[in-house]
Amino acid sequence: MIEIQNLTKVYKLNKKQMQESKTKNPLKTAVDGLSLTADYGEIYGLLGPNGAGKTTTLRCIATLIKPTKGEIYVSGHEVQKDGEAVRKSIGFLTSDIKLDPHFSVDYMFDFFGRLHTVPPTEMKARKEELFNYFGIRDFAHKPIKELSTGMKQKAAIAVSLVHNPKIVIFDEPTNGLDIVTARSVTDYLKKLRDEGKLVIVSTHIMSEAEKLCDRIGIVIDGQKVAEGTLSNLLAATNTQNLEDAFFEFYKSRKGDE
Amino acid sequence: MNGMGSIFKKEMTRIFKDKKMIFSVFILPVLIMVGIMGLVGNLATSMVDDIESHIPIVYIQDEPDSFAAFIQDNGLEYDVRLISDQQEREDAEDQILNGEADLMIEFPADFDTAIASYQAGDEVPQIKTYYNPSEDYSSEAYNVISGQALETYRQTLLSQRVGNLDQIAVFNVNSDNEDMIIQDEEKAGGKAVGMMLPYFITILLFAGAMGIGTDMIAGEKERGTMASMLMTPIKRSSIALGKVFSLMSLSGLSSIISIAAMVAFMPLMMKGMTGGSGTSLTLTLNAAQIVMMAVLLLAIAFLYSAIIALISVFAKTTKEASSFVMPVYMLVLVVGLMTMFQTGTPKTNMFFIPIYNSALVLKNILAREATMYQYGITLATTVIVSAVLIGVIVKAFNSEKIMSA
Repeated sequence: MIEIQNLTKVYKLNKKQMQESKTKNPLKTAVDGLSLTADYGEIYGLLGPNGAGKTTTLRCIATLIKPTKGEIYVSGHEVQKDGEAVRKSIGFLTSDIKLDPHFSVDYMFDFFGRLHTVPPTEMKARKEELFNYFGIRDFAHKPIKELSTGMKQKAAIAVSLVHNPKIVIFDEPTNGLDIVTARSVTDYLKKLRDEGKLVIVSTHIMSEAEKLCDRIGIVIDGQKVAEGTLSNLLAATNTQNLEDAFFEFYKSRKGDE
Repeated sequence: MNGMGSIFKKEMTRIFKDKKMIFSVFILPVLIMVGIMGLVGNLATSMVDDIESHIPIVYIQDEPDSFAAFIQDNGLEYDVRLISDQQEREDAEDQILNGEADLMIEFPADFDTAIASYQAGDEVPQIKTYYNPSEDYSSEAYNVISGQALETYRQTLLSQRVGNLDQIAVFNVNSDNEDMIIQDEEKAGGKAVGMMLPYFITILLFAGAMGIGTDMIAGEKERGTMASMLMTPIKRSSIALGKVFSLMSLSGLSSIISIAAMVAFMPLMMKGMTGGSGTSLTLTLNAAQIVMMAVLLLAIAFLYSAIIALISVFAKTTKEASSFVMPVYMLVLVVGLMTMFQTGTPKTNMFFIPIYNSALVLKNILAREATMYQYGITLATTVIVSAVLIGVIVKAFNSEKIMSA
């Protein structure tokens, strides 16, 4: 399971970044005292507008960046103290992490399998399963640079799952995918959940969150403003759909200022 | 350690699977080097041949009969044009200035008479020659005619005056001494090669590592593929070391191929270096030299790879990395040039300066002058500096600011 306690992430902006965001404050708080707990067997969705801090939170969990304050426990391992154990137990996918375009999907799958120390026989079985599920067989030996966006995304998903992780973290997993591929991805995430894995996704697509997530945490300006199942959130705001519920939270949050 | 091996293997596969990469990393440097040296050699040879085969155009003022006879008797091929008045002399000067004529010889009037009626105490007649040093043909005509032919002409006239020349020669220098050059042919060959080899090794090693290294680290950051490796449970240091070692192997291999090609094409290049005069210099390396060079080359490859990797880690894109590396490349080139023209025995403390010391020692190994002390210091400093740089690289790999910017 994942336990985030009071996570705060402050970025230092350089001059150019300060100019771009029209601020004179060199510090930018991307995540501000966020706490959440997600357990095995559920799909937890971080929902929020662009720049809310969803990706930063996920990157902190994945040990790619270090929290400024607070702790994150992944299967009992703290991300800063035991990063390698954390990375062993998670599969992480985000659109800005890519596979080396010069190699084939097949090579990359084996390469990352070795880095995750997956035994060869198990790796073969994993490849069989994932390549079949995502229909990768046909283009497994083509260099990744020759693949279409959808194929690349499928390949990236397969590779990120090579070590059969107990926890799967996908940052906007259906971004840029056509409707058919997007459906096969969300179906696979459900399958993983049903196998008892913990899936955390971030999204700004309401319909996707509605259909996919067991629990949703709404993040605005780096803070978690609401959390619960879809029906919890609808009941709390007295609305009919997630989009309306989201705007209720958004208004009350922005109204404070 | 397992992770480091996988990274190493992946980087090697990346190069060896790609024909374009193999060509640009291993074959292109050799082609460029041999091509340039061969071209320079050929051009130099044909230039020398052209100058030597050119028939000098010589203007002569007041040509004495004895000189005309001398030219005839010795079978000298000159395009002789006689000057009879001041106007013609000025034209001749203009032609020499423009490179149309090569030499002008001015005899005193009644030269033959002055020679024949010479009495002790008389003023010695003077022959004046005029030429244009900026013109190759004119320079050559000056050397051959003023320097050699006129001297022979003088000897001819002198022997007519005194009979036996040996009477006044007193002594000769090296007129019959074929063994006058005492040198170790191999050492001399090594010295000639040693002058340019460190320079070439520097360029080739660094240039080879530069292209691959910037792509291997900054390129992976730019493409977003580095983060995917950072997401695996292997240590960051394994990724860093795997990359540096593969870079080192590739650039080392590339430089060894280049050196082998250079030794193979040595005759061709030597011809170029000595301007077609032909040379008997040969380069033979003994086992100790080869081992010393190989170990040192490995250490140099290690150092250069570490430098390039370090710069690439701090760059965000390949382009940025290339522009950061450029000044270092320039520095390395300058250091190579410095050793090329360094003479005498360098001071011991020079062998503590990284990059410079390795070029010095390479040169000394080839000239069979390297001491174990110099070699040891150089090897140690090179490895220690590389290790420190790698320490910094590993630290940088652990920094989120640098790696996920």
